[in-house]
Amino acid sequence: MDTSYFLNRFQVTVPQLEQLVGTALSQGGDYSDLYFEHTTYNDLLLKDNEVSSGGFHIDYGVGIRVLKGDRTGYAYSENTGMKDMLQAARAASQIAQASTCLENTGYGKGYPAGTGHGFYPEYGRWSDRKPEESIQVLKKLESLIYAREKRTVKVIARLSWSESEIMMYNSAGELTCDSRPMGSIVVSVIFSENGKNENKTSSRSFRSGYGMITDAMLLEMAEEAVSGIDERFRAVRPKGGRMPVVMGAGASGILLHEAMGHSFEADFIRKGQSVFSGMIGKKICDSSISIVDDGTLEHNRGACNFDDEGVPGQKTYMVRDGILSSYLHDRISASWSGVPSTGNGRRESFRFNPIPRMRATYMESGTADRESLIASVKKGIYVDEFSNGQVKIGEGDFTFYVKSGFLIENGRLTEPVKDINIIGNGPQALADITGVGNDLKIDNGTWTCGKDQSVPVSCGIPTVLVRNLTVGGE
Amino acid sequence: MKKEKNTTGLISKEEKNLALFCIDAALRHGAEQVRVSLSKSTLDTFGMLNGELDKVTHSADRSVFLYIFADRRYGTFSTNMLEEASLEQFTAKAVDAVRMLAEDRHRKLPEPIRTEKDAVTGRELGLYDDAYEDLAPEEKYGMAAEECIWGKAVCPEGIRIISEECEYSDSVDDNFVADSSGFRGRHTETSFAICSEITIEDPSGRKYSGYWWDSSPYLAGLQRGKCSGTALDKAISQISPQSHEGGSFNMVVDRSVSSRLVSPLFSALNTASIQQESSFLKGSLGKRIFSEGLTITDLARTCGKPGARLFDTEGVATRNMDIIVAGTVKTYFTNTYMALKTGMEPTVEGVSRPVLLPYSRDGRLPEDGISDAAKIMEAAGSGIYVTGFNGGNCNSTTGNFSYGIEGFAFRDGKITHPVREMVITGNMISLWNNLVCAGNDARACTRWQIPTLCFENVDFSA
Repeated sequence: MDTSYFLNRFQVTVPQLEQLVGTALSQGGDYSDLYFEHTTYNDLLLKDNEVSSGGFHIDYGVGIRVLKGDRTGYAYSENTGMKDMLQAARAASQIAQASTCLENTGYGKGYPAGTGHGFYPEYGRWSDRKPEESIQVLKKLESLIYAREKRTVKVIARLSWSESEIMMYNSAGELTCDSRPMGSIVVSVIFSENGKNENKTSSRSFRSGYGMITDAMLLEMAEEAVSGIDERFRAVRPKGGRMPVVMGAGASGILLHEAMGHSFEADFIRKGQSVFSGMIGKKICDSSISIVDDGTLEHNRGACNFDDEGVPGQKTYMVRDGILSSYLHDRISASWSGVPSTGNGRRESFRFNPIPRMRATYMESGTADRESLIASVKKGIYVDEFSNGQVKIGEGDFTFYVKSGFLIENGRLTEPVKDINIIGNGPQALADITGVGNDLKIDNGTWTCGKDQSVPVSCGIPTVLVRNLTVGGE
Repeated sequence: MKKEKNTTGLISKEEKNLALFCIDAALRHGAEQVRVSLSKSTLDTFGMLNGELDKVTHSADRSVFLYIFADRRYGTFSTNMLEEASLEQFTAKAVDAVRMLAEDRHRKLPEPIRTEKDAVTGRELGLYDDAYEDLAPEEKYGMAAEECIWGKAVCPEGIRIISEECEYSDSVDDNFVADSSGFRGRHTETSFAICSEITIEDPSGRKYSGYWWDSSPYLAGLQRGKCSGTALDKAISQISPQSHEGGSFNMVVDRSVSSRLVSPLFSALNTASIQQESSFLKGSLGKRIFSEGLTITDLARTCGKPGARLFDTEGVATRNMDIIVAGTVKTYFTNTYMALKTGMEPTVEGVSRPVLLPYSRDGRLPEDGISDAAKIMEAAGSGIYVTGFNGGNCNSTTGNFSYGIEGFAFRDGKITHPVREMVITGNMISLWNNLVCAGNDARACTRWQIPTLCFENVDFSA
């Protein structure tokens, strides 16, 4: 779709866009940008064997930002009539009163404008799909799970999808547009055995149309939801303490997101808060390790044709061969650091100003095989299923919750474990990675990062051995 | 449909009538019952970085939520495009979408006898401060600036402040709910808040951060000028953490974070979780499950206090009610749908302003009547004083939990050193059976009134 489609969608003209940024800069701001959004979100919920609730939701508006040096003024309007947009522009312009030590560096003027880069090519528009077909997806997934595991007592499954039309314009005259689909399916299953209940979940999420849903995917999800339930029923809490941890390929990428990724986000660097501040070019881990934040993985939940400042999606090496090579920048931090933006300026919606955020964060494959990494541990733990994580930026202390794993005893996986928290320090954990597997796997679950605002992300990692982490336990 | 009289507040008479128009439109398109919730809010923030204005934001939100019951089916819909013509189309499409779903005969509006009758102006609970309307942007900026201690604070030798982020914000939330059975309810509240986060660096280059905040429905109730100082003290107190061995210890949980341990109880008392077999408190109603020292009551209708509300999201009138008394579960949170589905007595959708009452297992309270963290540590002797949770989770089905914690070791009632990289592990039912003491120091600014708590025999890994 060309830019005229988006201009019509938001009922504005280019001269009006110029007038808005002109008003936004009228108090002396250096730079202004506009972020128009029209999102439709739909969901269907299967519960108690029926898809008996669902709905759709519409969100529409424009966010107006003014920068003065590295200071931000922000306001938004939920309609795109000129009167309301101009009022928002005037509210955002107040920031021009702020004093700042950062000269107007142009904020990266010159990124190629336009529509689309093709990281999420059209794959069946959700709005073209009949509701009955989406309902059948959930019914099919449920029947696969009941057929596969007789101890199933409850299945809750949600299919949700959204289509966002985004138009960005800035005071450099760059007009950028993007159509962003997102489809997600999450299933949670309760199992019962001898009066005891356990639960498991599985999810998939892609920046994609309905073509993402295939029989193979549903089968894979059903298998994932029921596999390991025997172990879950007999799993125990391990004895806690510091020990080697082998992190299984895929979802263990949460380690990178929490322990390292957030500390590489350049707003924390600009404010001097990050534990990795001032370490560009320094060796921070073994030279076998390269860590990437990537907005270019096709149909990935973190894919961005453009970020939310109109900067093209990119693949950014944060750590290359053990050397800290780049932080994750938006336009402000990039200007402050005198480097180009890495395309990490993201936001939850038009209601929020963009800040540096991760996309798909993963570690590249190494050379070790999974079995040899496990075999190298005399006494430790293997973990492969996670939920929420958290980090303290200044200290670098991170934590994440392990839903399932195994004890490692004399190089072998033995007793299953569950419901434990792992805690460590980012720079130390990175330095303590002593083995990197050859089996990189991107986890395509419904990962959402909650740094002030919620944005979709994904993560991945090959099997890795961390020499020493604190594991909660009895 | 009868038109509404004019009122003051963010929501205008015309907008209220627009909400009622949605009910009419849905009924015209074939819905049997409809509830509409119209929300408007404004939020202004002034953020300071290192003593200078860093960020100014102005937010103004509005949205309509429709809960549509048609052909014994149910769906929820929302939009922020509030023009009458687009709402007509939106509502028609919503009713059509509901008809695609499976029948669910338990979906109904609450009986009118259960809904609130006295929430007319939205200000009945006294949560709106007229001072909001008189505040100029310059004054808001001034309040953010007065929090800053950048360049003024005195730090211990060798310690320097790396960054100071302060923020002043204020907001108005105005919500009008109506349904096709005649319910009309409005809730309006203001909020004023300040917060500060300070990062410091010690001579070895190690960083520590501290955070503090305050909020109030009234401008005059805001504790101003203290956040940055408190945040700095908190950062400094963490310098030079020492390793601490794991084991089973007393745990004192500070009032600023103790609600983290109460939250899983409320989730598990929700009938939706119980019906889905995903609650560790299934079958607990009327039974003594926890320590006799645990009593939590919901004071939903307390005028002028954060969290108070006259009606829940269904419009059902709240009431002050016992949730847990002396360890015995007294209430499940059961909405209309769950009541019809399970045959249980309907209550309300979730907790409003829970208050955890003071308790001491030995029956003694300090002579001065104050039971805070210092007094509780003194009584406990030794253990770990938890001042923050770092991630973790509670399995809703089993009640097993594991949380990262930060805080201090204490001995003979006095703090000895900060600890970090520690994890607590256990089960919620066991934990709350090990309750030794609950203070009376809950922060006035919080919706959940949970004081400092003390538990014994908590498993710490380090």
